[in-house]
Amino acid sequence: MSTTAATDGAPAGTPADLADEFVAALQRGDLDGAFRAVSPTAHVIIHPTGQDGGPEVALEFFGEALAAFPDLMLTVTRRTPCGDGRVLVELTFEGTQAADFLGAINQEKHLDIEQAWLLATQDGVITAVTGYWDQNKLYRRLAVKRLDRIAIA
Amino acid sequence: MTQTVVKAPAETVTDFFAAYREHDVPAMAELCADNADFHYLPVEIWGKQRVVRGDGKVHGIGRVMWSGLITAFPDLSNEITSLSTASDGTVVAEVVLSGTQAGAWSVIASKGQQYTLPHLFVLHVNGDGLIDSITAYWDNASFYRQLGHAEVD
Repeated sequence: MSTTAATDGAPAGTPADLADEFVAALQRGDLDGAFRAVSPTAHVIIHPTGQDGGPEVALEFFGEALAAFPDLMLTVTRRTPCGDGRVLVELTFEGTQAADFLGAINQEKHLDIEQAWLLATQDGVITAVTGYWDQNKLYRRLAVKRLDRIAIA
Repeated sequence: MTQTVVKAPAETVTDFFAAYREHDVPAMAELCADNADFHYLPVEIWGKQRVVRGDGKVHGIGRVMWSGLITAFPDLSNEITSLSTASDGTVVAEVVLSGTQAGAWSVIASKGQQYTLPHLFVLHVNGDGLIDSITAYWDNASFYRQLGHAEVD
């Protein structure tokens, strides 16, 4: 029996559980907890920031996010476990800017954007993380006017 | 007695993107249920009076957007880079869209630039083998930059 096509209420240890634990730890601001289940060799791609590398890429992104948005709220809108061990987590990323973020200077703006995180899992660990969202919408929310002058309000 | 064979969700989605590659919008729409939902999350155009969002129905704004994109990018193409299916008929598709601008698209006048852009599509296929929901994520900042448009709005 496959356990990779789980739905809500899936037994512990499924890909869905790994995704849930990853996101729940991020929601608590617990980076160490979030990345405990991420393989040291995991492949991370964050398309909007152009980052492609290992777990340190995601760790850096979420670390900067938590620092820039002390009231960061990650609200899962849909979680989709797929039959191949991948889990898609769609969430809203919301908070009030308190420090520079991805080059955008702090103007204390409220940010709310939709994000999709595709997590690949194998043998009880997260082996790949891919992030999608619209960086243009993020910049718009943070009052950035031009893409060639991100740091200028 | 004739028996209708319902395609698997992944097959429906593969056919959908094949029709998109052929610029066959009616065929794309035929693979969708009459009341299919359409959510292109990055679409957010700020006018003086209102904000136009990419939310609505496939047979409304969806068809308009697909046709408009094909007109603006006559060589528009796509490549599915991954496809994962959930047990509830949801299909998660990573798709790279590409094309060369030949006409205005949204607020962007054509400079003849070429773009290549990763997208994430979340499509739900119903029991009749028809797509009844499409959600898409991509990064408009990258899209705009590649087209030579430096303004956020």
